[in-house]
Amino acid sequence: MAELTAVQLFHQEEKRRRFRRGGFFIGLGVLCILLLVPFVLPSYKTVDLAVKIIIFATLVASFDIMLGYTGILSFGHGMFFGIGAYCVAFLVSKYGAPTYLNLMLGMAIAAAVASGLAILISFLSLRVKTIFFAMVTLAIAELAIILATKLSVFTGGEDGISLAMPGIFSFAYSTGKFLGMEITGKIVTYYLILLSCLGMFMMMLRFTHSPLGRVLQAIRDNEQRAEALGFKTFVFQGISITFSCVMAAITGGFYAMWVGYVNPESCLGVFAIMLAVLLMCIIGGMGTLYGGIVGAAFYLITETFLPDLQHLAKDLFPSAVFLHNVLERWYLFLGVLFILVIIFFPKGVIGSVREFIDRRK
Amino acid sequence: MEATFIKRRSRELAVAGVIILFLLPLLGISGKTYLTLTIAGLAMGMLLFLVASGVSIIFGLMDVLNFAHGALFAWGAYVGFTVFNMMMKWVTAESVFKNFAVFLFAIIIAMITVAVLGIVLERVIIRRVYGNHLFQILITFGATIVLVELIRVFWGPNDEVMTVPFSFRGNWDVLDVIVDRYRVICITMGFALYAAIQLILKKTKLGIIVRAGVENREMIQAMGHNIFRLFTGVFAVGAALAALGGMAMSVFSLQVYPDMGGTYLLFAFIVVIIGGLGSVTGSLVGAIIVGLSYNYVAYLVPWAAAGANVMIMIIILLVRPAGLFPAGE
Repeated sequence: MAELTAVQLFHQEEKRRRFRRGGFFIGLGVLCILLLVPFVLPSYKTVDLAVKIIIFATLVASFDIMLGYTGILSFGHGMFFGIGAYCVAFLVSKYGAPTYLNLMLGMAIAAAVASGLAILISFLSLRVKTIFFAMVTLAIAELAIILATKLSVFTGGEDGISLAMPGIFSFAYSTGKFLGMEITGKIVTYYLILLSCLGMFMMMLRFTHSPLGRVLQAIRDNEQRAEALGFKTFVFQGISITFSCVMAAITGGFYAMWVGYVNPESCLGVFAIMLAVLLMCIIGGMGTLYGGIVGAAFYLITETFLPDLQHLAKDLFPSAVFLHNVLERWYLFLGVLFILVIIFFPKGVIGSVREFIDRRK
Repeated sequence: MEATFIKRRSRELAVAGVIILFLLPLLGISGKTYLTLTIAGLAMGMLLFLVASGVSIIFGLMDVLNFAHGALFAWGAYVGFTVFNMMMKWVTAESVFKNFAVFLFAIIIAMITVAVLGIVLERVIIRRVYGNHLFQILITFGATIVLVELIRVFWGPNDEVMTVPFSFRGNWDVLDVIVDRYRVICITMGFALYAAIQLILKKTKLGIIVRAGVENREMIQAMGHNIFRLFTGVFAVGAALAALGGMAMSVFSLQVYPDMGGTYLLFAFIVVIIGGLGSVTGSLVGAIIVGLSYNYVAYLVPWAAAGANVMIMIIILLVRPAGLFPAGE
């Protein structure tokens, strides 16, 4: 083992530079801000926003493993998210009781169902062309929404299911004060979600930087070449899809825990979840994982403060009806932004910034 | 030997299986209802064919999977809706001639408008991402968001009721079988268009160029034909077909709503997966399969109607991954 291969040398270099890169400190800073949010800005609106940014950043990162690292577009990611949410809701509320065991069991079942379905879909659609995956997932996601709505005996239909959380995660729970803040069940849930999502994010980083992740990138860049090099592309794509979908399902479980309510529109909806994830991923930058954080923050902050913006516009320009109409249609702007980003900055915010820094060096 | 027989005869076996499958509902439905449902299914299939053939031809020739097709479909419906509203007197007049005139006029206006829209879309957006499937899907999906939001800006976000021209309403009673008039019009229109498309593709020079383009694009360019002009033209025709489908479908379902494109785009995708991407005949067969099965299942087990199509799609993907009529064969 005297001689190191080029890849090993690259790894060593990367390891040495790990703690000196600017990106590392920015990540640490973001984490500190998120840790402090419940203490500095304790209003419900900001904590809710922070949780949604955390959850969606993780969801977008898992989507990015498929889109950015494997080059497969799925329209069923929202469905896997919803499967996770529904599994937890079933186990904790509808077909079980709010206990810790059931909560963990719900997450485990969510992961199992998601992986089974992901393997099935990839087996069905990847045999012909990669783009079939987009069409087949779109059809199956639509079917999932219809089933969740129509089979109301099992799923609660349009009304959905409300769930109560066990023990220290329930909203009624309270354990005295800490630094002048009342530690409620919501706060405990917040930290649980933050730490779990951090762990999942680290797992995904590890996944993409592993030898397996490199093979996936090779397949994305040139599938025929990767196949010629002896990699079974079908198997690798399947592994990537399954991993990504399991991550999405677990994120969905956490979402159900936080919102305390699941219904077809908010958990499975192609437009509520899928469109948002796609926009976040593209705007943040695909193939970066960190892009999800930027995209989710941008999208959710805009969405949360949009009503305020509309009120502001109405107060400032009471007669400009056109402006009000346009502000009501903010998806129009997102759509135009989406197209412009794809044409001019296909690497998104993070990718473009990285490129800019690299060029200056 | 048996395995090779199945492989060699897989298309015939699939078609036979499909026919048997469609005779099965007869066990649960009386003959007359079955005929009524069959006509409804054929009509729906014909309208789906109009959308799916556009998706299929555009993919076959340009190698672009057009996710914006649903939005173009909705635009066609809304333009037709506007024309109907402007000429409401002719729509409600008790004269077959006036009804047909306004129907044709609305279709022509819708087709022209949407074809222009399609040309703009192809030139401005899609041309930038030729050769990259992932970005094509993403960018046409972005175009869908913009087009649907524009519908909401121009026509408002609510569902609107579509008026059916007077002489299209009501039924004929043929030997005790109830036949909806408009459905017959749809079926006729669909078969006429299929014949027209096949004639153009098989008999004209343009059609030969397009078919050659599906097989080998570089060779067409080498022969001195401007492939990009051809792309724009085919995209415009595909968009116009989508508009026609949207206009006809809105009269069929008596309503227009901004998200209608998404629902029918999904049907169109199922159709082209069943029929095979890039083949017009495949689209026709796929559309009829989807239309018929949807109507039978909706009558027998209402909640499973959408699931039946997806199940058929999954079975076809298992048996013949490239669809019933793959473009290359």
